[in-house]
Amino acid sequence: MIWVVIRVVRFGIEFVPREAYWKTIYYAIQAEKRGFNYLWITDHFNNRNVYVTLTAAAIYTNKITLGPGVTNPYLVNPVITAQAIASLNEAAPGRVVLGVGAGDKTTLDCAGVEMRNPLAAVQECIEIFRRMTSGESVVFEGEVFRIAGAKFFFKPKGKIPVYVGAQGPKMLAMAGRVGDGVLINACHPKDISYAVDCVKRGVSEAGKELTDVDVAAYTSFSVHENLKKATKAAVPVVSFIVAGSPSVVLERHGIDLKAAEEIREALKASQWGQAFGLVSPEMIEAFSVCGTPEMCIERITQLLKSGISQFVAGSPIGPNVREAINLIGEKIIPHFKP
Amino acid sequence: MLRDVVDMAYHKVVETISLEKREELSDKLIGAILVSKNEDKMPAELANTILYSWQRGLLAGGTGLAALLEAAVLLEPDRTMEILEVELQLTSTAKTVREVLLKAKK
Repeated sequence: MIWVVIRVVRFGIEFVPREAYWKTIYYAIQAEKRGFNYLWITDHFNNRNVYVTLTAAAIYTNKITLGPGVTNPYLVNPVITAQAIASLNEAAPGRVVLGVGAGDKTTLDCAGVEMRNPLAAVQECIEIFRRMTSGESVVFEGEVFRIAGAKFFFKPKGKIPVYVGAQGPKMLAMAGRVGDGVLINACHPKDISYAVDCVKRGVSEAGKELTDVDVAAYTSFSVHENLKKATKAAVPVVSFIVAGSPSVVLERHGIDLKAAEEIREALKASQWGQAFGLVSPEMIEAFSVCGTPEMCIERITQLLKSGISQFVAGSPIGPNVREAINLIGEKIIPHFKP
Repeated sequence: MLRDVVDMAYHKVVETISLEKREELSDKLIGAILVSKNEDKMPAELANTILYSWQRGLLAGGTGLAALLEAAVLLEPDRTMEILEVELQLTSTAKTVREVLLKAKK
């Protein structure tokens, strides 16, 4: 008999602050009321500011844990990230986490910022963050960052957990080694199993247990009682994921590399209709958790068996965000609660 | 000054709605506001009142519903009237909202 250990699952939700702040905050309050444990706000300079959004969310919520999902050390210096998170932790004591990763290359390119030595940049950022938020005066000489003596004029409170946004094997192992959590950008059990193995390597290098690290599947999610409607909402997001995925990941799911290249080209040319039309059912299956509540429950169960402890419902969430949050709260979360 | 007049006027509109219809109306109005493409028309103080009421479960209460009605009329006037007149058959409320709008224009 094979025993599969299923860890207690926590539910997170991700919002892209693309819309007016009050819509995002309305959904954040709704998510808290519907039983979500974590609220993740994306950090891209071309959307509303992540910390302004998080501060508003902190004020209008009472118990949900919140943080950037994820910021990066290139556009925001680690001392400023530490300052923002420590300040946020005053508005929502004990409810704040830091999500940090290498960032999105396309967005960094737009800002003219080079993604240099991502593994070292993220790891150094975490060290600087932890030392700053523990009240230390930081002198640091790393491969990417040099801090000549930085200390807050206020006393930061408590230890703030750090989640590492990771996809590649080295970043995943590092996340296991130094992180309190890892946010894995993946939706399919095959990808999650692979990622969890990488995290386990890092965890064992650090002499920890996997249960010491909150392993989150950070998914592209779409739920609706009508499968067609759920799928239609997922298509645009999936097209961007396909376009940004390396060949090795596409091949793992048997996705035609030529079709992926055609989507990439269509998106580059802003030919949205053409790009979205090229998204196949296999791509939807590989790069989203999508369907009716029952179908989503089945996929989340598979992901839990692959080793996750947090499930994050990310963009688009559903064809109608408010209805989707209600559906998750009514039908999906209760299924996983004892 | 106009903002205060409109606020008070919507409080009076809420008084025309029976208690049993308020929850459903609140639900439909927030649904309309959230999918609206006219988010730029939402005044920040009104948005904050809505969020404050939502956090406390008071969107179907007097202030919450007045704020929702005002916001819905600003962002989605046609949809608001459809909700009031067709979906909830609140014809006298719809008439009062029209009068408020007319007064505000003057």
